Amino acid sequence: MKKHYRRSVIMCIGLICLICLPPALSHAGEPAAENLIARAWDYMRGNTSVSVVHMTVHRTDWERKTTIKAWTKGRDHSIFRIIAPKKDKGNGTLKLKRDMWTYNPKINRVVKIPPSMMSQSWMGSDFSNNDLSKADTILVDYTHDIVAKETDREFTVYVIKSVPRPDAPVIWGMQQLKIRSDGVLMEQAFYDEDMEPVKILTTTDIRDIGGRPFPRQWTMRSMDAESEQDYTLLEYESLTFDTPLRDSLFTLNALRKPAR
Amino acid sequence: MEILMAWRNIWRNPRRTILTVFAIAFACVLLIFMLSLQAGTYEVMIDAAVKTRTGHLQVIAEGYNENRKIRKVVADPDGIAAILDQAPHVTGYTFRANGFALLSSEHRTYGGMITGIDPIRESLVSTVPATIRQGRFLGPGDENAAIVGNLLAKNLKIGIGDELVVLGSARDGSIAASVLRVKGIFSSGMDEYDRAGIQIPLSHFQEIFAMGQAVHEVVAMCDSLWTVSRAKAAIRERLPEFSGKHRLACLSWDELTPGLVQSIQMDLGGGLIFYGILLVMVAFSIMNTFLMAVFERTQEFGTLMAIGANPGRLTKMLVYESGFLTLCGIILGAGIGCLLTLWAQHTGIPMGEAEGMLRQYGIPSLIRPSLSLVTATAGPVLVFLVTMLTAAYPAVRVHRLKPVDAMRAV
Repeated sequence: MKKHYRRSVIMCIGLICLICLPPALSHAGEPAAENLIARAWDYMRGNTSVSVVHMTVHRTDWERKTTIKAWTKGRDHSIFRIIAPKKDKGNGTLKLKRDMWTYNPKINRVVKIPPSMMSQSWMGSDFSNNDLSKADTILVDYTHDIVAKETDREFTVYVIKSVPRPDAPVIWGMQQLKIRSDGVLMEQAFYDEDMEPVKILTTTDIRDIGGRPFPRQWTMRSMDAESEQDYTLLEYESLTFDTPLRDSLFTLNALRKPAR
Repeated sequence: MEILMAWRNIWRNPRRTILTVFAIAFACVLLIFMLSLQAGTYEVMIDAAVKTRTGHLQVIAEGYNENRKIRKVVADPDGIAAILDQAPHVTGYTFRANGFALLSSEHRTYGGMITGIDPIRESLVSTVPATIRQGRFLGPGDENAAIVGNLLAKNLKIGIGDELVVLGSARDGSIAASVLRVKGIFSSGMDEYDRAGIQIPLSHFQEIFAMGQAVHEVVAMCDSLWTVSRAKAAIRERLPEFSGKHRLACLSWDELTPGLVQSIQMDLGGGLIFYGILLVMVAFSIMNTFLMAVFERTQEFGTLMAIGANPGRLTKMLVYESGFLTLCGIILGAGIGCLLTLWAQHTGIPMGEAEGMLRQYGIPSLIRPSLSLVTATAGPVLVFLVTMLTAAYPAVRVHRLKPVDAMRAV
């Protein structure tokens, strides 16, 4: 009789657990993949961000360093400007949603990048125009699934497989992202339609930048490169979040204004 | 004696003889005409590709033809020029540099290929200067001037005197930018090139793309297609002297445009199958005639053998017969075939509907067959061999005849 009693108590507790735990689990343990990505993207950009980045395009027999200042606001406003070397100083790129313009001070002209050129290399790097202008496309054009979980020191790293929606205007067959539980993007791999990796972006040297843990180095490698030595490295020199930025900064007029 | 008999024999049944002669003649005409037409088409295709784009020979950095990276350069074009000046059969050469860039007019922007050319040397090698439809070709004094493909000009909505903005990556990775003024519009006939190509003076190209003195291609022409390989060998021997950071290679037109060679091979392959079928049909019709001739004349052969003709003489006579028949057909066919081909060569054959497809290979809408010793004789010689082979069978069969049985045969 006593035994029976105890069993029913255990069953009761079990039932209570069953009722209460699942929502709790899905909140704390298994965040939705979409939310993870949205959070990671917002984490990277803040409400606004101002950064100075050194870009190194490296090839076996050749290397070039450029310094770029970048402003972003919200999810789809950004403007980039080259501040060194002197030869390229003042060249700028403005992107608003899917549209992209580039400005050259030497000829004092703004050129709109046509859709057919969006997959071409940006300033000779391993990044394409698309990588810049459609960086937010992953939030709109893809559906996401968490496929694995890894542990990196005290953090959980979610491996997310993102497949484009059927009619989405994207060139990738699939993307695979690794996002740390605090929102830091660890890796982004781009796959073609045959599910072969085309290029992989990895982030390293996570330290406190702009008041939050942030990867200082971003490396993009193309899989069809001629050697291991071919890559493009972005290194953050400075980064500040949530500085108020006027909307007028993200206009063609602002793009044309050389000194700032 | 056998010759005379053979000659008389073939005219015993004039209708059959004439039909057979016509069959042979028709095969000859068709072979001569088709072969000449193919040869003419290929010549035009090769010529178009060679003269607008590749030239007969190019000296380039190794691998540049497969992956046109702006950094794969010929660093010392003057050194290569010295080799070319001494190379046999080379009639002219020029330097070119290529870059991919955004081409932007007031209204539109497209990606395109910019070629820097030497305005004076280019006309020794390329037909582009002769295909200017509006305006003029580049001159020695031009700096930021451009000539633009007609389809590209249409897409960009620009005309003579308009501005064209170029934006791309220079050799050192910096940004190449320039504002050009359109001086001329060309129509090379190669849609692919007319849709994306612009040409600017080489010196200006080297300036905006930070090329220094380097170029991408040294393009050479030879005195004919057949001397290209000799010139190539001579140039290759001396190239190692000038190989700097990038090893240099000397490639001929067929190595530079593998697509062109493949499409020629494919077309030729299809043609050969067709000729094979044609020859087999002619062979059967000849065989039929000769078999009939032997069977219906069994009695006659029996009689001839009975009065002392040995089978060898009969065979000889039959071979002469088929020889006469074939020769008549071939002479007639070759005559008509050559005349027809020469006439078509003179007037040209309009291609009408197929034009769009052919244009991508640079074939003009009027095709002219090209009659040469090879195209004129290859067909008739083949027909002669095939008919003589098939005629041999009945001629040998005569040996099996027994005079008595043969005379009694119906």
